[in-house]
Amino acid sequence: MSIAIREFRSAPPPPEPVTPQVNYLNNGYSLWSWLFTVDHKRIGILYLLSITVFFTLGGAAAGLVRINLVSPTGAILTEDQYNRMFTAHGVMMLFFFLIPAVPGVLGNFFVPMMIGAKDMAFPKLNLASWYVFMIGAGFAAYAVLVGGIDTGWTLYPPYSSRYSHTNVIPGVLGVFISGFSSIMTGLNILVTIHKMRCPGMTWGRLPLFIWSMYATSLIQLLATPVVAVTLVLLMVERLAGVGIFDPSIGGDPVLFQHMFWFYSHPAVYIMILPGMGVASEILTCFSRKNIFGYKAVAWSSMGIAVVGFLLWAHHMFVAGISYYSALMFSFLSMLVAVPSAIKVFNWTSTLYRGSITFQAPMLFSLAFVVLFTIGGLTGLFLATLGTDIHLHDTYFVVAHFHFVMVGGMVLAYMAGIHFWWPKMTGRMYSDWWSRIAASIIFVGFFLTFVPQFVLGYNGMPRRYPNYPQAFQVYNVLSTAGASILGLGYLLPAIYLPLSLFFGDKATANPWSATGLEWQTSSPPLVFNFETLPVVVCGPYEYAIGVDQLGRGLPEPPGPGGSGLGGHEGVTGPAGPMNKETHVVG
Amino acid sequence: MSASTLHPPVLKHHFDNLHQQHASERLGMWMFLATEVMFFAGLFAAYTVYRMWYPDDFEFAGSLLLWKIAAINTFLLITSSLTMTLAIRCAQYGDRKGLIRNLLITAALGTAFMGFKTYEYLTDFEEKLLPTQAFYESHAAHDLETKVNPERARLGLEAISSERVRLFLCFYYVMTGIHSIHLVVGIGCVLWLAWEAWRGTIPPDNYSTVDVVSLYWHLVDAIWLFLMPLLYLAGAGMGH
Amino acid sequence: MEAFPLIPERASELAVRFEWLFWYITAVTSIAGLGVYGAMAYFCVKYRRGSTTGSTPRILGSHRLELIWTITPLIIFLTFYVWGALVYDHAVHPPEDAEEIFIVGKQWMWKAQYRTGHRVIVGGNPANMNEKDRANIGKLVLPIGRPVKITITSEDVIHDFGVPAFRSKIDALPGRYVSTWYHPIKLGEYDIFCDQYCGTWHSLMVGKIKVVSQDEYDSFLQGTLSAQGTDNPVEGSPAQLGSQLFLKLQCIECHSANSAARAPVLEELYLSKVPLRGGGSTIADEGYIRQSIRQPRAKVVDGWNEIMPHYDMRQVNEEQLSQLVAYIRSLKKGKTPTRNENFPAPVGAPTQKSQAEETK
Repeated sequence: MSIAIREFRSAPPPPEPVTPQVNYLNNGYSLWSWLFTVDHKRIGILYLLSITVFFTLGGAAAGLVRINLVSPTGAILTEDQYNRMFTAHGVMMLFFFLIPAVPGVLGNFFVPMMIGAKDMAFPKLNLASWYVFMIGAGFAAYAVLVGGIDTGWTLYPPYSSRYSHTNVIPGVLGVFISGFSSIMTGLNILVTIHKMRCPGMTWGRLPLFIWSMYATSLIQLLATPVVAVTLVLLMVERLAGVGIFDPSIGGDPVLFQHMFWFYSHPAVYIMILPGMGVASEILTCFSRKNIFGYKAVAWSSMGIAVVGFLLWAHHMFVAGISYYSALMFSFLSMLVAVPSAIKVFNWTSTLYRGSITFQAPMLFSLAFVVLFTIGGLTGLFLATLGTDIHLHDTYFVVAHFHFVMVGGMVLAYMAGIHFWWPKMTGRMYSDWWSRIAASIIFVGFFLTFVPQFVLGYNGMPRRYPNYPQAFQVYNVLSTAGASILGLGYLLPAIYLPLSLFFGDKATANPWSATGLEWQTSSPPLVFNFETLPVVVCGPYEYAIGVDQLGRGLPEPPGPGGSGLGGHEGVTGPAGPMNKETHVVG
Repeated sequence: MSASTLHPPVLKHHFDNLHQQHASERLGMWMFLATEVMFFAGLFAAYTVYRMWYPDDFEFAGSLLLWKIAAINTFLLITSSLTMTLAIRCAQYGDRKGLIRNLLITAALGTAFMGFKTYEYLTDFEEKLLPTQAFYESHAAHDLETKVNPERARLGLEAISSERVRLFLCFYYVMTGIHSIHLVVGIGCVLWLAWEAWRGTIPPDNYSTVDVVSLYWHLVDAIWLFLMPLLYLAGAGMGH
Repeated sequence: MEAFPLIPERASELAVRFEWLFWYITAVTSIAGLGVYGAMAYFCVKYRRGSTTGSTPRILGSHRLELIWTITPLIIFLTFYVWGALVYDHAVHPPEDAEEIFIVGKQWMWKAQYRTGHRVIVGGNPANMNEKDRANIGKLVLPIGRPVKITITSEDVIHDFGVPAFRSKIDALPGRYVSTWYHPIKLGEYDIFCDQYCGTWHSLMVGKIKVVSQDEYDSFLQGTLSAQGTDNPVEGSPAQLGSQLFLKLQCIECHSANSAARAPVLEELYLSKVPLRGGGSTIADEGYIRQSIRQPRAKVVDGWNEIMPHYDMRQVNEEQLSQLVAYIRSLKKGKTPTRNENFPAPVGAPTQKSQAEETK
């Protein structure tokens, strides 16, 4: 049964072009004006610069790890050096890149803009969150520079509390402090979304990026304090020589694992949910269609956040938990896979009968959906008890989480950066090079991590610098892929900064998107909007051709080129005179 | 409605109106309180696990603590929550003197708590009630060996292990220590509020900072009300 | 080992169950994944900008489709769950009659102890071991076709005893005993890996399981078949205890390997043909060896004197006797030990000196 709603409206004209003199970037060039800013956009840029540095450091560590694995007895590192290297890679990538990346960069920049606000609810808290993040990073960097820590990012006692001879305290302190930054950002985003929406921006009209940021912030707020107290207890045990995880006084090291994973499992949803939000924004824009199943996707984000709190011990199936515990956690882990599946189906259906172009944001988003699907499906092997016994702590797990975190989240982050770059900087980057980069990253990624599934299935354990000779061929393939992946990452590191000087000036809305952030100049004004926006319809009304303020949309970019670049003031097509709305089924 | 040209001086520039500002501040503080609850919840959960595993050992260990001081401290904190609430009332009515007075009393009660706590810790150190090896030199460990465990053996009960008493003491110091740190921060905030009130920046139409600090203060009090029975009262029946 | 390992050995009952489950999940998820990719690829090609008008329909969603693709994955995932739980149930509940082996993990080696008291170092980093341990590096020998339960703990940090060929692993926790079990179904040698990061030499905390026939297993338990690279009998085994007795009781005084020995060397004695004084011969089986210790003058070896003292129940009890027999059974060519000053003679025991005095 299909319901057809006829929309009788004549297309409103697209907005007049406007190029303001003062925007948030040129409003003061001094270092002081940047380091003491309370402007959410500048804070977003501060985060962007810092996490790029940490991504590079974490990536370098990964490079050394992979090079070392070319030989079954370790090519370039001693065992101790290798152990410090993979720990540095994990800690840097998880706590100092993935957790802050989208919330800290894209969330800070775009949450206020997408809901029509002037800034976040607590701008000074926002700046404080960046400083707290940098202080935490400082401690962690210190720990790495004076010799590193070798406990793995998971820090299990008794090894981390009483046997490791490395700089555990500064490293853990760094992670502990940066956790507060995560809490502050989450709190800020939640209050902003609750209280600062402009008139007409009801909950049902929020872009899906906002829904996913809301879900992410909920997790950041409620889960991070638990790992904070766990890390405090670990530090106390290491400093005092005695603690609550110490078996010699009746303590239980497995309790640490419970408390640690109570945060660290929801943490992975902190990492992926924002990426899912980004994908929803881009897939709709570049197929010129409404999202298929808005409510389903929004509810799925919330569902993943809530159910994600109930799964933690699926990391502990062979760690000595009871049989009945294991049954429960496996069952719940199956449940959380369902909302992710729903999202993938909805994204795919959004493409149906669209009008699709393949600029870099779209290529990255499509790659995200493909790789995230593999990552999610391989998670099922690990959620299933019978298979997890064999696959736990092998390269199968390593491949699984890299698929979701790198193939998923990093690609979604890249997609977001490429999508919003014109808005943030006022410049367009090279369309051709960005498409090449997306393709190389996709291929390199595949080659790096697919052999690792085979390795894990054959039993190669994680965190092993020495391995049986028979596994060498897969390790070499994986390292070869990693070098291609590294090359792929290098390209945006070149063409994006170059665009700041040589790129075409961007219009307000080069991708012809519907969100509120596109209805202001590129780069935006200091207080975001000339006048208070008033929202009249939902997001993603691409089919009708109106933005959220009810105005028309400019000409969308063609299949061969990037956004308009230099064609300011082009009027869009006369919109559809009437449009049937299909509610299928 | 955009910010009017006659906006009140207390309205911050990124907000549209005072109502939005106050509502945001309150919501923000409630969310922060949620994080504090989760922080302590981790500790309480861990404590609960061990208490379920070692009920007798933890009961004995609890009886070693100075519950009388804990009782005084409880009274002090509850009273301070009263004066904190009275401070809000003074702020609402514009009673600046009353506001400052109540804030200072609140801070004083909190400081008294810390004073008694310090005395309690010093006494504990002197009696060697520590989670380290030093515990074995204490009277309590000696009593355990010479009086308590033989008596238990006579009654057919399992012996109480000094190691598990040390585990309890780990929790005691960490939980009361972290609570004390939160209290000290609270005292600092209350004193800062008194300063702001003295400067005149808390008019009756913008007292939400008092509101927000009081929420934090009440939470610290509430956490103590959970902490105290778990640590001190559960062993009180065994006498000390 | 193959050049491109694709599927590890299926060496246990659990491995077989695992494989069915694993490939079922692989098949289902592959079909689902390829279905999604097919749809995506098809849409991306058919609806690309160049081949469409640029105008798109306003499709908001479909309740029916949402329901279908919520319920269907849920049901499929629940089949994974149920089957997985059944396999897990099998994996974590050992049968009543399983043989027990006790394993201790420590940085960075595994120590196994059998019910007979055997101790084997089942692999690890030789650089972390003392001389004695290094001499005892062997394999975890298991009998084919019989369930064996391992109970495991750790002396220091958390380790994990993982056997890919059995599709099994379990964490070794300090302060706790946990158990798992295996039912080996294939002869051969299989890798053991430590599967929980434990420090510098985590990747060298590896060893081997050797699945042997029932007969070989019994010999192993006796101590006559060693699992190590060396020929020393397994520590804790009857043969190894017998070797200690051999030295302690000063048998070595006479039965030494030097040319002036007063008694025949006992290497390779077991089941060999022994010529006797006064004609005739006998096969040196267990009974012969026992008799030679209890009543040495009953059958004297041709060419040697009747000087061996007898050892009765007070000096060598039944258990010690079987240990000595096991040792002599295991003694290989060139393996007679040298005199060991750690075992001074007990009072009253015949010694070289006193015998020399005797014959003076």
